[in-house]
Amino acid sequence: MQALQQGGDYLAVPALFSEGFLLGLSTGFYCLASCLPLLAPYLLAEGKTAWWFNFGIFLQFTGGRFAAYLLFAVLASALGEAGRYALPAWALPAGMAACGLLMVFLAVFRVSGGGGPCPLRADLNPWFRRIPLLLGFVTGINVCPPFAAGLMRLLQLADVPRGLVYFTGFFSATTLFTAPVMLGTPWLGSRANEIGRLTLLLAGLWYLALGLKPFF
Amino acid sequence: MEPAVSRGGKAAAAGLFAALVFVPAFIFSGLIVGREISRFYALAWAVFAGASAFAIAYTGRVSFYRRLFFSVSALAFLAHFKLGLLDKALAPACFASAPYCHIAMAPYFLGYLYQQYLALMSAGWRLWGPLSLGAAWLFVTLAIGRGWCSWACFYGGIDDGLSSAARRPLVGTGRLRALRDLPAALLIFFLLVSLANMAPEYCLWLCPFKFTGAFLARDGGERAAQYGLMGLSLAALVAGPLLTGKRTFCSYLCPFAAWQAFWGRLNPFRLTCDAAKCSACGTCGRACPMNAVRSAPGARPEILAYCNLCGQCLDACPSGALRYTVFGLELPSFGGAAGALISVKYFYVFSALTLATAFSSLWVPAALRDMVKLIFG
Repeated sequence: MQALQQGGDYLAVPALFSEGFLLGLSTGFYCLASCLPLLAPYLLAEGKTAWWFNFGIFLQFTGGRFAAYLLFAVLASALGEAGRYALPAWALPAGMAACGLLMVFLAVFRVSGGGGPCPLRADLNPWFRRIPLLLGFVTGINVCPPFAAGLMRLLQLADVPRGLVYFTGFFSATTLFTAPVMLGTPWLGSRANEIGRLTLLLAGLWYLALGLKPFF
Repeated sequence: MEPAVSRGGKAAAAGLFAALVFVPAFIFSGLIVGREISRFYALAWAVFAGASAFAIAYTGRVSFYRRLFFSVSALAFLAHFKLGLLDKALAPACFASAPYCHIAMAPYFLGYLYQQYLALMSAGWRLWGPLSLGAAWLFVTLAIGRGWCSWACFYGGIDDGLSSAARRPLVGTGRLRALRDLPAALLIFFLLVSLANMAPEYCLWLCPFKFTGAFLARDGGERAAQYGLMGLSLAALVAGPLLTGKRTFCSYLCPFAAWQAFWGRLNPFRLTCDAAKCSACGTCGRACPMNAVRSAPGARPEILAYCNLCGQCLDACPSGALRYTVFGLELPSFGGAAGALISVKYFYVFSALTLATAFSSLWVPAALRDMVKLIFG
């Protein structure tokens, strides 16, 4: 145990950032595969032909993911400091179910092809303009294999500031893989939005089912 | 409008067209079949294709005889391949990895790409199978494009045949029109999820004829869900067309239909409406089994990208306003019986029928042999 602590201590901050960055680079494909089913349908459903608008969505989504990573970094490092090397078993599937539920909710209410009152309309409540941020956050707390590997390293490091540095590196590298999703968005139209809404619904139901499965 | 010709001339031209289809069909079918069974079965199938070509050229009706050919091919697929899976002689283990099925290929495309990348990196040349399948698909798309779904697809044949079985639809599909883009959504969803899980998720969850245990989950609840969705797909493929008179599986649940609608733009064949002749009666919209023609009273029909050039609207149109074209253009018309064959319509029918006969030679001659064995022992 002490050896592990020592192993964490001698690493300087740039080295820790690089380690997280390298983990992100080497496993970025898995990150892409895990995040794409959530990000792509949302962009397809909510995106416009204006590239900057879509870039705004992407930035918010990425910001939400970053916030989730930092939260996990703090939690995991704090748990490591406390000598507990595991998160509650229900936390991760619950995160996935929440993610799925949010996507279903968005697909049904927000990106509606027809009229009718929409409880998530941005002009009713300015907070709802931040939905991509929330979606990014719930995506971030879903555990893909490389994320789980990073989490184990944080439990081992058991140091909150160093954990933050490590996950910042991890986040920077994985963002390189998710960014190309922006490429196709300038061609979006109302038809693509409708297809995106249906895809968002399907993906939401999928993640909801995956999240709820461990509880039954 | 096809030039008027005598009955004898028409028969001669139709005979010529039938021969043009029969020869390549027999060559390809013989090559495929000859490695395993007697070429007699290939000959029988090529004769059937030639007869279909004759009927189309003689009557000028594309969809009726296409449907006959298409349904026979699909029935043979069910009889030989799918029921064969129930036989223990065919070990289901051979389907453990991603299957070589065109419907699976589209939603698992990103997975295939990744596999090819791994094969390239590891010099695993034997893993290059999907690449050759991709080349075959590209050839098919360039040759007939979206026509694949109305001439060659085995599931499409079942859906199409059954949709014609009901004289009058018992259930309308008006409400379902809002879900017309569902295949595109399913395609994107399965592309992403299959990539995330590196598994052919469409085959696991939505394939209507999962007659092999290899795709079923071990977990009881998950398996029940798989059976439930398989039942839904099967209902869309069998009960849906019988009740609605439309190809419900192809129109609402098939991701390959969306895939081919997208890439089918590469193919030059189109279905075009002549505004001068169109009376805006809406018959084409009602006749379309794919719900791919939007027609409002008094307005010219809009042909959607989901149109798979089956020709049903062409046969139904009372004013002859719809026709096959190449990027919207028709060839100059030639006089005489044989001259009538030099049109986009017959170029398209030739390509589609020859290709569909060659592809279905993978199972139709074998199904014929099964039948002969069953009857004569």
